[in-house]
Amino acid sequence: MTETQHLDPKVPGIVIRDPKARTVALRLTGIVKSFPGVRALKDVSIEITAGEVHALVGENGAGKSTLMAIASGALAPDEGTVEIAGQPLTAASPQAARSLGLGIVRQDPALLPDLTVAENMAIGVGYTPAGRLAKAPAWAQEHLDPWQMGINAAGRVSDLSVEQRFVVEIAKALALKPRVLILDEPTEHLSLEEVQRLFQRVRELVAGSTAVVYISHRIPEVKQIADRVTVLRDGAIRGTFQAESVTEHEIVELVVGRSLDTVFPTKGCVVGSIGDEVRLSISGLAGTHFHDIALDVRAGEIVGLAGVQGNGQTELIRALAGIENASGSMTVGGRPARLGSSAAMADAGVVYVPSDRHGEGLFMPLSVGENISMKTLRKVSSGGLVSDSRIAETAAEQIANLSIKTPSSRTPVASLSGGNQQKVVLARTLLAEPTVLLAEEPTQGVDAGARVDIYRILREAADQGAAVVILSSDGVELEGLCDRVLIMSRGSVIAELDGDDVTEAAIARAALTSTSVRKREEPSTSRGTRFRRWLRGDQSPAAALGVLIAVIAALVGMSNTVYLSPFSLNNLLVMAAPLILIGVAQQVVVMGAGFDLSVGPLMGFLVVSGSFFIINGGNILVGVGLMIGGAVLTGLVNGMLVTRFNLNPIIVTLATALALQGAFLMLRDTPGGSVPVEFSDFVSANIGFVPVGTIVAVLVAVVLEWSLRRSRWGLELRAIGSRADAAERLGIRAGRVRLLSYVLASLLVVPAAVLLLAQIGIGDGRPALPFTLSSVLVVVLAGASIFGGRGSFISIVAAGLLVAQVLGLPAFLGLSGAWGYWLPGIITIGAAVFYAQLRSIRKNS
Amino acid sequence: MTNSHVTKKTGFGLKRLVSGGSGAIWLATLALFFASPLVAPGSLNAAPVLGMLPFAAVLAIAAIGQTLIVQQRGLDLSVPGMLAFGGVLISGLPQNFGWPLWASAVAAIVLPALAGLVNGVLVTCFGVMPLVATIGTNAALLGTVFALSSGTPAGAAQELTQFATSKTVGVPNALLIAILVVAVAGFMSQQSITGRRLTSVGVSKGAATVIGVRVSVYQTVAYVIAGALYGIAAVLYTGYVATPPLFFGDGYLLPTVTAVVLGGTALTGGRAAIVASAVAALFLTQLGQLLRALGSPEPLQLVIQAAVLLVVVLLRELVPTLVRAVRRRPLVVAAKAMA
Repeated sequence: MTETQHLDPKVPGIVIRDPKARTVALRLTGIVKSFPGVRALKDVSIEITAGEVHALVGENGAGKSTLMAIASGALAPDEGTVEIAGQPLTAASPQAARSLGLGIVRQDPALLPDLTVAENMAIGVGYTPAGRLAKAPAWAQEHLDPWQMGINAAGRVSDLSVEQRFVVEIAKALALKPRVLILDEPTEHLSLEEVQRLFQRVRELVAGSTAVVYISHRIPEVKQIADRVTVLRDGAIRGTFQAESVTEHEIVELVVGRSLDTVFPTKGCVVGSIGDEVRLSISGLAGTHFHDIALDVRAGEIVGLAGVQGNGQTELIRALAGIENASGSMTVGGRPARLGSSAAMADAGVVYVPSDRHGEGLFMPLSVGENISMKTLRKVSSGGLVSDSRIAETAAEQIANLSIKTPSSRTPVASLSGGNQQKVVLARTLLAEPTVLLAEEPTQGVDAGARVDIYRILREAADQGAAVVILSSDGVELEGLCDRVLIMSRGSVIAELDGDDVTEAAIARAALTSTSVRKREEPSTSRGTRFRRWLRGDQSPAAALGVLIAVIAALVGMSNTVYLSPFSLNNLLVMAAPLILIGVAQQVVVMGAGFDLSVGPLMGFLVVSGSFFIINGGNILVGVGLMIGGAVLTGLVNGMLVTRFNLNPIIVTLATALALQGAFLMLRDTPGGSVPVEFSDFVSANIGFVPVGTIVAVLVAVVLEWSLRRSRWGLELRAIGSRADAAERLGIRAGRVRLLSYVLASLLVVPAAVLLLAQIGIGDGRPALPFTLSSVLVVVLAGASIFGGRGSFISIVAAGLLVAQVLGLPAFLGLSGAWGYWLPGIITIGAAVFYAQLRSIRKNS
Repeated sequence: MTNSHVTKKTGFGLKRLVSGGSGAIWLATLALFFASPLVAPGSLNAAPVLGMLPFAAVLAIAAIGQTLIVQQRGLDLSVPGMLAFGGVLISGLPQNFGWPLWASAVAAIVLPALAGLVNGVLVTCFGVMPLVATIGTNAALLGTVFALSSGTPAGAAQELTQFATSKTVGVPNALLIAILVVAVAGFMSQQSITGRRLTSVGVSKGAATVIGVRVSVYQTVAYVIAGALYGIAAVLYTGYVATPPLFFGDGYLLPTVTAVVLGGTALTGGRAAIVASAVAALFLTQLGQLLRALGSPEPLQLVIQAAVLLVVVLLRELVPTLVRAVRRRPLVVAAKAMA
């Protein structure tokens, strides 16, 4: 067996020990991968042997994570092969990689926030090791307890802290007893104590001849844990070494690609270019995850923010940008600035370069020129009208000044490489002539060449008089660029380094040691919190709606006792049955983050098509069969268009809704085909004052509720609704599950249509049309987040009853027909506002 | 300045024509007008065309409103309620409450704009999904229409009908108004600072927030302008039809959405193709006219509209993928791994 070896001529004296004839656990050969605008990996080959910890180091954007995404089947390579434990990975499929024995712990855990920890772990291991779903919590708890993180396996993932989530991700990967374990920046979220615990586990695994790939940019840790180190830079391997044979410094130089002094501009504190004027001054600043921050930054000074991720740095810099709320005082250029408003901050002269370039940094579909001028439109317009030629001029200037590589200023910014995109953000930022420049991870996903330019640009901005604050997770970057570095822990500044003390080692030491004393939130079991937890659960809306129903019934019943008679109750329940069914149908789709506007017209279509056979002398079975067939077909059309062709569900179902309406009007322009009395009597039978139809509707809801909690289908539906991308990464076939949800929803319309047909007694589709609105109303009242993943069918029953009650009120109270529109409209809005507020309170707490 | 941006243009031609931008709808509309007399002789004579144009004008103005909402990643399902609301105000206020026509017209535009403000506030301040918010306001508006009219439609004031049905230099007034609205809206959306900021918010709320754009304000403004446009559309429609049915807006929901999609505004927000939406409205109205000339029943129109919408969104989704595949093929050597 031969080992690909790379000797870097720049680092003399490194001897590469020939690896023993161990089995290769993971072999990547000739991997090439390009993204629009970047060649992320250029012909990378690497072998990881069983029983070793193999570190993969490189800067942000060097290609480490892309390489491992390919190894784990999450991404398909453009060229090259992946082999896990001697078996080739034939398709880019996470499950295939998993079944070959590969486990991966990602930097961004693939967890589904609305599902419980145990459910997440069960999905993550492909169900089998977890046993039946009912037993999953106990199984999961067993794997979590060794970490002593106080994680409750039955709790929701969204309630966990960042580091707890990370531990869940690790426990999930370990539960599979993998032959290859990939850890992607595993210590990013962990404190020193937790890091040591992790290393302990890694050593145990390696002793059991598991191969561990350890991705990190923290060189000291790498030296501590790894047997071999591979350096990746700009998508190519720059060398593989025995860990003990290279020094930290040598690794850093390999990672950066040249000696550090050529990368970074001279610091302001060295040349004395830092002014006296304080440009940014904050005191007593507090917000979510940080408190009591005081900081003065002078003109020409670059201050770095460091710390273990999740210790308030991000929130702090975003609060300075006005994006997150904060209290305290902040002055910019001597004038007080209004906290909590990014527009006010922008007016005060604060500019912010976010880390999420795609989501927040740039307007991806717009051109380079438009992006550059978007923040300073007034400079390129007169009389409120924008001049495109002036935009082009400004852009040309900036493109030349910052050496942005782009075909022209009209090129969509999305087609540029990461480095050039970041330069566009900086060009826009500099045009605003900032007093304060805030930059979060300014060189993430940027190639080495552009990185040097970006450091120069940031330093020049400082030299021109801006106060610069940089948040970075890269110690080398902070060391090279910053005049001063503040280290944050648990939301406050715990150390400050300046002058020669600003070194990567000192930053890392300060960050890691301080966090070891971080307090864990112990799950409290007092009554108050238990009640609060129940409130946050899926079943609380049902109870609240039940109370509301009772209150309305009591109020109306007091003024008119007939309201509570068995006859009116029967009436109410009769009306509720189709509402429950249609609400359940809508809920099935909404759970999977879809939407179905066609339920009402489908119901009408089914009523009309059924009415051709459900007549005296007709074949009722054929009629019902036709209804089922029509429903399945509609569901398939909706589902296929949404999942296979990736069309917007609202547009698709709006179109099918209108098509169905047109179709039933063509079939029966006027009502016709009277339903046999026996059929109506059969469908509308009662047990006491309770209609059989209502019982059936409730049973359907109960069965679905059970499946939602206890079946794989329910789990996967909720998983997709919760976070479709993570669900797919976990190997759930999202398309199929969602397709099925549309078919199921349409099928659930069938019994609703049968009930309606029996109620109106004649083939007429028009009375079914309002049911689309009703279904939305029921779902909104039931508290589904409308973003999927959460909700309960029991709440649907309660909401269906309430809607039936409310829709019946105008007739009972003798109100005008207008109330028939007002009540559902107002209640929809009221409930939506209520739940939206509840959600934002939840998020903040 | 270098001029290298011209280089790649040819390759984008087909893709732009069918998927993005607005070129496709112009071509399709021209093709439809060429085909009309061939399929149904006489369908392009003065009378049917002059009869069709006011309806196209109404749809165009309403579709611009919908375009503004779609630009903000929303979808306005309150179009039926808005139109009915505007209609009941312009016809009912003079007849039932004795308002002067001009005041009624102002009310018929301002009050739907206020309803748009409600939509906007619900979406931006209260975080309600646009779909849910507009379904709710739609029902509330229909209730208001019902209450204001006591269930019976009123007739339009004589001056209004006269204005809407007469022509200036041979062009129907309704069309003139529509052209004016389209031109102003299209120009402002393209060239004004407000228009550019609306685009920025539509493209990315996050990025717009970062550069200091007041996102909620701009989004709300979009809903308000949309409401005013629905009001104008309702006034024109009422003037032209004289006594419109109470809930005439019901028939406009799907066409506005179809016009937006045909016009090329992406449902994921971003650039608003205002003029193209208006052209698409003309296309849809003429298509309906043609079908009627061919004797198709009204319900079939619904089915065909739905089919047109689905075909267009499908094409938009599929064509770029196909073009990419075609362009890639000679380049890709080892595509095996992609399987």
